[in-house]
Amino acid sequence: MLSRRQMLRSTAVGFGHLALTSLLAEETARAQGSADRPTPGAPHHPPRARRVIFLFMKGGPSHVDTFDYKPLLQRDHGKSYPFPRPRVTFASTGHLLGSPWRFQQHGGSGSWVSSLFPEVARCVDDLCFIHSVHGTNAAHGGALLKLHTGSDNFVRPSVGSWINYGLGSENRNLPGFITLCPTLAHGGVNNWGSAFLPAMYQGTPLGNASVPADQARVRYIRNERRTADVQRLQLDRLLEMNRQHQARATVESSLEARIDSFELAFRMQREMPAAEDISGETPATRRLYGLDDPVTANFGRQCLLARRFAERGVRFVQVTHSDSNVQWDQHGDLRRGHAKNAREVDRPIAGLLRDLKARGLLDDTLVWWGGEFGRTPTVEGGGNDGRDHNPEGFTMWLAGGGVRGGHHHGATDDYGWHAAHDKVHIHDLHATILHLLGLDHERLTYRYAGRDFRLTDVHGEVAHAILR
Amino acid sequence: MPLHRILLALAGLGCFASRAWTGGPAPSAEQVRFFETSIRPLLVEHCFKCHGAARQKGDLRLDSREHLLKGGLSGPAVTPGRPEKSLLIKAIHYRDQGLKMPPKGKLSYRQIADLTRWVKSGAAFPANVVTTKKPGDHWAFQPPREPAVPAVKNAQWPRNALDHFVLAQLEAKGLQPAPPADKHTLIRRATFDLTGLPPTPAEVDAFLADTSADAFARVVDRLLASTHYGERWARHWLDVARYADSNGLDENVAFGNAWRYRDYVVTAFNRDKPYDQFLLEQLAGDLLPGDPSTRQERLIATGFLALGPKVLAEGDEKKMELDIIDEQIDTLGRALIGMTLGCARCHDHKFDPISTRDYHGLAGIFTSTRTMENFKRVAKWHEHAIGSEEDRARKAKHDKIVAERKTAIEQLIAKASAKVKAEAKAGKTLPKDIEALFAVETKKEIKQLRDNLAALEKSAPEIPTAMGVADGKVTDVPIFLRGDHLKPGKLARRQVPVVLAGEAPPAFDTKHSGRLELARWLVRPEHPLTARVMVNRIWRWRFGQGIVPTPDNFGLLGEAPVNPPLLDWLARRFIEDKWSMKAMHRRMMLSSTYQMSATDDARAARVDPENRLNWRANVKRLEAEAIRDNLLAVTGTLDRSLGGSLLHVKNRDYLFDHTSKDTTKYDSRRRSLYLPVIRNNVYDVFQLFDFPDPAVANGHRATTTVATQALFFMNSDWVAQLCEEWAGKLLQDAKLDDAGRVERIYRRAYARRPTTQEAAAAQTLVGNVTAVLSRSEANSDRCRRQAWASLCQTVLAANEFVYVQ
Repeated sequence: MLSRRQMLRSTAVGFGHLALTSLLAEETARAQGSADRPTPGAPHHPPRARRVIFLFMKGGPSHVDTFDYKPLLQRDHGKSYPFPRPRVTFASTGHLLGSPWRFQQHGGSGSWVSSLFPEVARCVDDLCFIHSVHGTNAAHGGALLKLHTGSDNFVRPSVGSWINYGLGSENRNLPGFITLCPTLAHGGVNNWGSAFLPAMYQGTPLGNASVPADQARVRYIRNERRTADVQRLQLDRLLEMNRQHQARATVESSLEARIDSFELAFRMQREMPAAEDISGETPATRRLYGLDDPVTANFGRQCLLARRFAERGVRFVQVTHSDSNVQWDQHGDLRRGHAKNAREVDRPIAGLLRDLKARGLLDDTLVWWGGEFGRTPTVEGGGNDGRDHNPEGFTMWLAGGGVRGGHHHGATDDYGWHAAHDKVHIHDLHATILHLLGLDHERLTYRYAGRDFRLTDVHGEVAHAILR
Repeated sequence: MPLHRILLALAGLGCFASRAWTGGPAPSAEQVRFFETSIRPLLVEHCFKCHGAARQKGDLRLDSREHLLKGGLSGPAVTPGRPEKSLLIKAIHYRDQGLKMPPKGKLSYRQIADLTRWVKSGAAFPANVVTTKKPGDHWAFQPPREPAVPAVKNAQWPRNALDHFVLAQLEAKGLQPAPPADKHTLIRRATFDLTGLPPTPAEVDAFLADTSADAFARVVDRLLASTHYGERWARHWLDVARYADSNGLDENVAFGNAWRYRDYVVTAFNRDKPYDQFLLEQLAGDLLPGDPSTRQERLIATGFLALGPKVLAEGDEKKMELDIIDEQIDTLGRALIGMTLGCARCHDHKFDPISTRDYHGLAGIFTSTRTMENFKRVAKWHEHAIGSEEDRARKAKHDKIVAERKTAIEQLIAKASAKVKAEAKAGKTLPKDIEALFAVETKKEIKQLRDNLAALEKSAPEIPTAMGVADGKVTDVPIFLRGDHLKPGKLARRQVPVVLAGEAPPAFDTKHSGRLELARWLVRPEHPLTARVMVNRIWRWRFGQGIVPTPDNFGLLGEAPVNPPLLDWLARRFIEDKWSMKAMHRRMMLSSTYQMSATDDARAARVDPENRLNWRANVKRLEAEAIRDNLLAVTGTLDRSLGGSLLHVKNRDYLFDHTSKDTTKYDSRRRSLYLPVIRNNVYDVFQLFDFPDPAVANGHRATTTVATQALFFMNSDWVAQLCEEWAGKLLQDAKLDDAGRVERIYRRAYARRPTTQEAAAAQTLVGNVTAVLSRSEANSDRCRRQAWASLCQTVLAANEFVYVQ
């Protein structure tokens, strides 16, 4: 590694060799990591996906009301759950609660989808449902951290950070990991943080869950006080000062990297607003994402931005559906809450899938949909219109990027409480996602404080059955 | 460090038994890694019980390569390179009715694939690194020796014995130390080092004018006496103490009293509290005697154990308790002795000789300690009442009045009830709410009294509290198998890790948690790690890299010391100086090693490109806090007041729950140390400049250079605002001409005067910016101020501002 660095250093004559020196900065960061990490552009094995868009439904959407049809639950509505309940539950729940929504089969695959997702239902032949996902934590905080980082009691790098660490960046003028309107609650920044991985791999947030999507910005990307020509004058002087300083000071790669970082920043503040500016999108595209409807416009804009970042080479884009509450957390008021939530996301999600497909991006973009857990088939407390957290078994779906469309993997028990067949733990899901990107989750390691760390810790098995 | 280097290091230290590999060609690093992560754990779990040292069913042992090759009654278990011919592989496939192993159930697809791959690649079977060597052999587990001060060729160079250790190593490699730094560089370096702030022009002038031999020693003494010294070095310690003002994790509630611990640390550094005492107080301050104010300070100190992030909404209360204890053990290990003890929760440490028994021996101490009031969701942590006598007297008086009033109300009700009952006709059942039958005036009177009482209760004087721990119910804990609290195994008596215990390990009685015994054991002079770890931390924070390059890991996977005798010599001096940190600063800073320049040397750079041997000074980027403090100090906007809290929410209130609306304000102009540290949402300027995650002990901050940092200097409103204020002040000063302004900017920002060329270029920039601005801005004063602000911003954005040579 060092000889490579020295070689780079000796060939980087003078200044302004941006690509070379930012490469050097990345080399430095990488040098501290694993010997077995793939070189950029050459993953562990041929990748099926090059990037990920994660549509995160904060709060835990109910699988038994959306994509996991349970005829017995409908039949036995009002009866008591006949099997042992999990040892630890979040709250107490009562009798079985049949879904208030009608399920129908859709597409060539005949996939069951409830009436909550009429538009997504038209895309089922592109979706690969995993009905047997399970996690380890019944509280939002732990479950979010587990989902995003693989650990619910330690601070660990986010899955997006691992992917960027493993694959490097495709666009040096944009961050490789962008998270749109993330929630600051329940782990907050740790859910997109790089923990011990170098800071360059951390997620760059645009706004947060309390900020409308059209106001979500990267910090410090705009300057209201100085015009571009004044800034150019400043930067030219700055470069000259830094050059003289370095000549006086000493040979030190970080000084040079910092010189380059200003030029990169100057370019980034041009490219980022361009990526964020959707004024060039056609009316048809805007409609596709639901920007014409105030109910769907906010999430629609997030999905549209996700596509714009994805096509510009951002490796991992997360879109969070959350308001200033825990959006999908219907302990009560399930009928109204889930109907409202689904309505906000249904059209934008379907729009994103269709748009990606039309642009040929779906082939190598993995779209991942889900929440931090599902919900119980039983009613919460003594009410009749709510469900509790359920990490024991729930549904997520993937689309594009090398997964089988119209496929259903795994199953929960007859009532939908526990994952029962072909169980896929969060660690297995992580292993599978890395696998699709050409990364071996056991070899993607980073040495920190004397230990090799992995996203999947000592767990994780790739769910080969879902691969195309 | 890549594994092959670890193995080399281990081999170099004589860690391997005489036969490192049980036969066969020496495996590659990758083979070892694969074996240790995928094969050995599998064999241990599924095979050794029947085919190991204790039992050999079918005469078969599987715990060494020799045994595998020899096999049992059915023949060799393994044919290296030929999985299809190996009985072991046949057995695990479960295809042969007569040979299915392990008998309890087929291994997973992955495990079968792993074993097959292992046999195919030659069935390398490295000896168990830990068990084949004596546990105490690792250098860090022996008490520091007293090394002889080595002789050096260049006798002129050393200023003190420390230099002999550094120079001897350089000379052995044929290297020369860099020439001394100039006085400008030196005072800037020392001032940031000890106070985290830039020197003022007057301080620079005074040092330049002082030509006496001990001029620099005087600078060091002046800086050590400054209260800013405590602020700076407390912040270093707070990294290790994973200090924060909020819980983070799931329920992000305010640690509203954490600041008391932070201020305690500042005071401890400023008063040069001996490090052994400092540790005793943090681990067991509540168990130490003292006058009331000392007691109070010591209760606050135990905040160290209480400040960790906790999963306060964990539904499984036992798990919550054990996770909290785990966090304490992990922090204690990393922070104080550079050991990753947390690893031994689930299994014996893979590399260090720390067993699950050792772990649970410590867990017993913390189980016997009260960190929490309760574990009910959302759980409450314990706080000490730390009020003065007066506070308590005031509270007692108040409580007494409240009690009296309550009694008065009760009496009134009793009297009125008796009256109602007496008047009621016999046999008539009285309603539940008897008060409804009271006379109107009585009702009125009661309401009035109750209102008064409520108001009084609301105005109760608050007794200040501090997060901290106390002794709880003393108990030993069982060894939880694989760390699973649902699988308790044998009871583990409280103990310190055997490999570190020394000749007289502490005894634990049934009356005390054992924290005090643990703390006393840690600060014994012969403890192999405590002093070494701290002097290494001081070295790391000063020079940018440690003598042991992994300051939080002195175990087998940590890196070996670059200069072992130097580390031991410093550790011994530290103890000899009664654990005085200020004495250690003087010792290090008054050396020639510290006072070198950062000048490059092509030859040295080839031999030691990372400057591990200290042939020159490291160029260091300022940390997040120092960047911010430097910006404030240089622009003349720093508020230097000390101590207290800037947190805007009440203790235990949510910083933000589900809302994602964090209303914490960072617009204060006080030193960065005092800005709230909000877990899950650390101040973005801090995040940008590599502030460590405040949930984990970290003695080795990263330094990254990314474009978003440049964006901060270019575009943040805050930087622009400071620059405009600074420009305004410069322009207001009638005594200054433009050349004088440029000179002042340079002296403040860089502790030096500008060169003629720099001064001219600076004024040119002001002129050019003015020309651009005047196209759209008619007000020439505003134009001028903006132009000077642009220059200020450029100077502050430059490398010279954020790097210390």
